[in-house]
Amino acid sequence: MSEEKTIRQPETANPAVSIPAGDGPSQPRAWTAFQKFAFRVGFIYIVLLVVPPGVFSIPPDFSWFRLWIDTDWTSLHYRDLYDIARFNPSFPWLTQWLGIPRLAGHAIWVTLLAIASVGAFVWTLIDRKAREYNTLYYWALVMARYRAGIGIIGFGFTKLLPVQMPYPSEGLLNTDFGDFSGQKIYWMSIGIVPWYQVFAGIVEVLAGTLLFFRQTTVFGAALLFGALGSITWVNHAYDGGVQGYAFYFVLLGLYIFGYYVPRIHRLFILQQYTVPVDYWPTFPKRWQKGLRYGLKAFVIFLFLGVLFYLQLVDFLYDPYKQPSTPGVKALRGYYDVSEFKINGEEIPYSPLDIVRWQEAIFEKWTTLAYKVNKPTRLSLSNGGGNPIMDLERNFEITGTAGGRRVFHYYADTTTQMLYLQDKVPVGGDSDERGVPASTARQAAVTSGLSAGDWIDETAWERIGDERTKIHPRGINTRRNRGFARGPRPLTRHKMVLHYETADGQRVVLTGTNEHRDSLYIVLDRVERNYLLSRSSLEAGQYD
Amino acid sequence: MAFSLEQTTVVSWNHREKVIFRFIFSYLMLQAVPLDWKYYQHVLSINWLQLQFADIFNISRYTPQFVHHIKSVDFWGLNTLLDWLFLVIIAGVLTWIWSWIAQKKGLKWNYDRLYYVLRVVLRYRLAIGVIAYGLIKVFPLQAPNPSLSNFNTNYGDLSAWKIFSLSLGIAPSFEVFLGSLEVLGGLLLLYRRTTAIGAFLILVFHGNVFLSNLAYEGGEAIYSLYLLQMAAFLLLHDIHRIILVFSLAKPAQPDNYRLVYAHAWQQKLRIGLKSAFVFFFVGLAGYKAYVVYTEGPYQYPETPGLTNARGLYNVREFRFNGREIPYDKKDTVRWQNVVFEEWSTLSIKTAAKIQPWHATSEVFHRDDRDRLYELAGTAGRHYYHYRIDTAARALHLENKNPHYAGDQFVLHYKRPDAHTLVVFGTTAAGDSVTAVLDRLDKKYLREELQRTGGRRGNELIL
Repeated sequence: MSEEKTIRQPETANPAVSIPAGDGPSQPRAWTAFQKFAFRVGFIYIVLLVVPPGVFSIPPDFSWFRLWIDTDWTSLHYRDLYDIARFNPSFPWLTQWLGIPRLAGHAIWVTLLAIASVGAFVWTLIDRKAREYNTLYYWALVMARYRAGIGIIGFGFTKLLPVQMPYPSEGLLNTDFGDFSGQKIYWMSIGIVPWYQVFAGIVEVLAGTLLFFRQTTVFGAALLFGALGSITWVNHAYDGGVQGYAFYFVLLGLYIFGYYVPRIHRLFILQQYTVPVDYWPTFPKRWQKGLRYGLKAFVIFLFLGVLFYLQLVDFLYDPYKQPSTPGVKALRGYYDVSEFKINGEEIPYSPLDIVRWQEAIFEKWTTLAYKVNKPTRLSLSNGGGNPIMDLERNFEITGTAGGRRVFHYYADTTTQMLYLQDKVPVGGDSDERGVPASTARQAAVTSGLSAGDWIDETAWERIGDERTKIHPRGINTRRNRGFARGPRPLTRHKMVLHYETADGQRVVLTGTNEHRDSLYIVLDRVERNYLLSRSSLEAGQYD
Repeated sequence: MAFSLEQTTVVSWNHREKVIFRFIFSYLMLQAVPLDWKYYQHVLSINWLQLQFADIFNISRYTPQFVHHIKSVDFWGLNTLLDWLFLVIIAGVLTWIWSWIAQKKGLKWNYDRLYYVLRVVLRYRLAIGVIAYGLIKVFPLQAPNPSLSNFNTNYGDLSAWKIFSLSLGIAPSFEVFLGSLEVLGGLLLLYRRTTAIGAFLILVFHGNVFLSNLAYEGGEAIYSLYLLQMAAFLLLHDIHRIILVFSLAKPAQPDNYRLVYAHAWQQKLRIGLKSAFVFFFVGLAGYKAYVVYTEGPYQYPETPGLTNARGLYNVREFRFNGREIPYDKKDTVRWQNVVFEEWSTLSIKTAAKIQPWHATSEVFHRDDRDRLYELAGTAGRHYYHYRIDTAARALHLENKNPHYAGDQFVLHYKRPDAHTLVVFGTTAAGDSVTAVLDRLDKKYLREELQRTGGRRGNELIL
């Protein structure tokens, strides 16, 4: 980098006004001791924010850099880039050692402040010559701008092509409002208005894009601070669980916006003639210019161009929170349970019965949902992450009570058999980071029906490969690897049911439930006319 | 400072600018200054000795209404846009007259001063609007905690607007946050130096409100558009400065215009008026909103319901004209469950199709029976207001849904034990009903999670 700098100053300065730039353009004004110390703290803080986590840990962990190598760049999945764009600092051992309380997920910011303060103190002792840090400040802003821009664009595209908050499945539409967690209620309240979600995504992607350019940085920072500040609050108010990552952007936004606060203060509050002075480095050599524009073009191409395309593919063919395999067409819909026999014994309908099904729903994807008045283990995760297999895509089960039972099925349409697995594992679901919510799960690894033996070879052949059941454009290396790895080894309740329907109005299910009781169930289709408007922007392909 | 105030008054207006200004001035003044006689009729009807928050709230949201004059709930429909078209035409005529007078009579107008006056009017009009709406969120009134009946309604049987309101209602802290932002935006408008910041805040906030109203089929999109146009106009004043300093990194002059007061009393009057404004629309309004808040949600009826009856009830037995009807989810007559609210409302779920009542804008109702928030935008439950006759052990039921205005009947009740209610009577259609109701120990997930410390690391079997 060149040490020669231009000071961006107005060509036509008002002669009546003295420019508050100190000693003139050639010699920038010296900073006060306090300014220098504050800058050092801020600079270290920003470095800690923008460097992928693990780099500073002992021993260092370069897993983020591994992502670049492990990713198959010839066959990308949106999540490949999303993962690269999504990281935030973490010093769990230090936070613990300092004894900082959890602060609802915000302890890390205090830890970083402690590191930055100590670092700044040492820096102050060593560096006694520096008069000012204009150049370093510029680079700190560049780091913050690009880190925040890339991160928020990665986040924003999942809303711009609305898949982050899916429109509620038919099962969720038939669940009472009081049977949802706060997190679920907020997520669905955005899911029911996909166009609004698109708008929210545009705001985030726009904020990120504006941060890539110096001329528009102030607007990007203001938008970022406003939007993510609000999202942070939402996550606290609704127990969403993403408040830490949202606040990460608030800090970056504040740092960037802070650069402009003196100007705002002078122009509006003091109402004085305002001359903005920016110390921007110049890049006189060709390779420097080339590198600068090359890097910038690369970031924009990758995170605006390629990521948009990948997210579009995800939205069209494989929306990541809901199963993407089309369900059996003849079955899809909402049913009343007209007849229910278990082990040959008929149970009449009662809302209080703890065995009898009350209603049944075949989603447009491979899910059967029904309701029984019996307490069941709930999935309390926020439905995030990126499960590849339909069985593990859990938005339709998370944060939902009310006796809802939700099963994924493999359908053998030749013999009209459904092989069903409970979407809530026996040991409970994990939270969003994949940390076991229950120790019981450790013991609950493959047992009994969990292995491949519950569906025989020939049936598997007729069912076909789930991996290839979506549009070929939605298939990529990440998906292939996910299927090669297989589902997580969890114990799940299983049912095997045969279905029979003449015209789709009446469906007869026979088979065995998870306790190997024999079932005979007659379902009658009911046209549910929901008051809630249908989604006008539907993700996925189920035809 | 190296320059004097006179420097800026040199700016001269050319003919085209003057004409455009005359039009904008006329149009925005017609929008912001209450000229509608119906509005004054309303203001005069207020009992100023017993001023309620609802009165201040209603004063705060004046919009000129020529076309639409029925006292209706949805007064901000597309008709309002027609009103705006009228204003545009009137403003056009005024511009023409003004230009004619200016030309013929050679009157000299101080456009700088007029522009300043227009900005002052808009700043205060906008501040009134956003502060009033902010206050009903700062004291979480706008979206109250969902009622038990709402909790026991299928998600798909709620309208998008209702879901928006219920979703906000479960998180009062978020509502307070939104309200504080809105009030802050309004307060910033009261000071010349912070006007641009306030206008920017309101533009972002109400831009969001506007789009939310469109997305959730709310009833106040037009009103937020009304406020937005003012915020946009106010920010326009500074936009060139903002672009110069922040985008182009070039110097910019601040806004140097000052209204010069010739007499000391004018300055005193200014301060007096401003103080009165702050006292009435911020202080008094805030206090009155607080009073409403302490009295409980104004969206729900005030009269308490049947003592110790609140809850969700399973309908164990149901007789219709003497005939017993077993549990049935498809029967349009058979009651499936009944909710008794804390207040004098009960709701019954049946399979009958219900024509929903929609009310998507903010209205304060004094009479319990008019407080329809609990049923607005819902289907699946029948809502009855009831009056208790304790002597006769009878509930006088009245269907709250205006689509079923004639549905009134009397139910007698017996309470064999604390959790059982037996009700019997003859419906408005002349059918005799008897129902045995058992209170269920229903647990609501959101409340259970709050009780047990949140989602994180939690395990629930419910």
